[in-house]
Amino acid sequence: MRPPLWLAAALLASCVTGSFDRGVEDEPILPQRLAALRPGVDSLGSCLDALGAPHEVFEHEVAPDGSAGVGLVWRWRDEVGWGLVVSSGDDSIPGSVSIDRDHATHPGCVLWFSADLVLQRWRAGAVGDPAAGRRRPAAAETPGD
Amino acid sequence: MTNRRSTLLCLLLVLPACAFARQDANEPIDVAAVRALQPGRTTAREVVEALGAPTDVVQLGKRSAYRYDGSTTKSTVLFLLLVNFGNQDGRSDRVWVFFDERDVLSHVGATFATHRTQYALPWEDVHEASDHAARDAARPGLAK
Repeated sequence: MRPPLWLAAALLASCVTGSFDRGVEDEPILPQRLAALRPGVDSLGSCLDALGAPHEVFEHEVAPDGSAGVGLVWRWRDEVGWGLVVSSGDDSIPGSVSIDRDHATHPGCVLWFSADLVLQRWRAGAVGDPAAGRRRPAAAETPGD
Repeated sequence: MTNRRSTLLCLLLVLPACAFARQDANEPIDVAAVRALQPGRTTAREVVEALGAPTDVVQLGKRSAYRYDGSTTKSTVLFLLLVNFGNQDGRSDRVWVFFDERDVLSHVGATFATHRTQYALPWEDVHEASDHAARDAARPGLAK
């Protein structure tokens, strides 16, 4: 005798579930606001006024005299799509699989400023975390110094 | 009999279960305290006294920059039998203060948005200009 359809559906739901998810993180910098930026003219102050606070700040083009340019990074996310979750009670099959692509493909923009804090250039597109590899380690003082 | 089964199946499919969650990281930044900062006058020490310890400090050649941030994420999930609908809405407050080589404030960049997060379902667009304006008006210190 075949099991009732509703019973099969109920049991299946504990093993296989579809999902429709949306994830939104921070607000995008609108293209027209980026297009209005003027390399060689705009300053760090005017860009901060126009775009707000960035997510990351990093130094670049460090000169022998210790001066350096400044880079600013903005990023945001608005992703929507269908997914499927399959659960298994078998020890030989992973119960869940996740892929961490955090910050790997976030849309965003980067602005570079010269040492005198004038905008040199900007780029928009997928950004990761350019600050992590560019940041100098903080000086550590040992007791007694 | 088939109709009864179909009805029962439909009931199971549409019987909803909702979940709401909120996650905060750090306190929302004090808007008035940020607006009281004066580039060219305020020192790094005075900034720390006003805003507390920064979450990040970055060396920029002879200059430096401190970061302050807080974030709020609101999550909504609608569980149905075979399909779930989820939405996660996150916004942050961010302030970067830049200091010259004498540790005097030179620039401030500020974004205040934690109050704009909303519970929603994935097909809803809850971030319209009117929503933002109403929420901005309700946040102390932010109304223009």
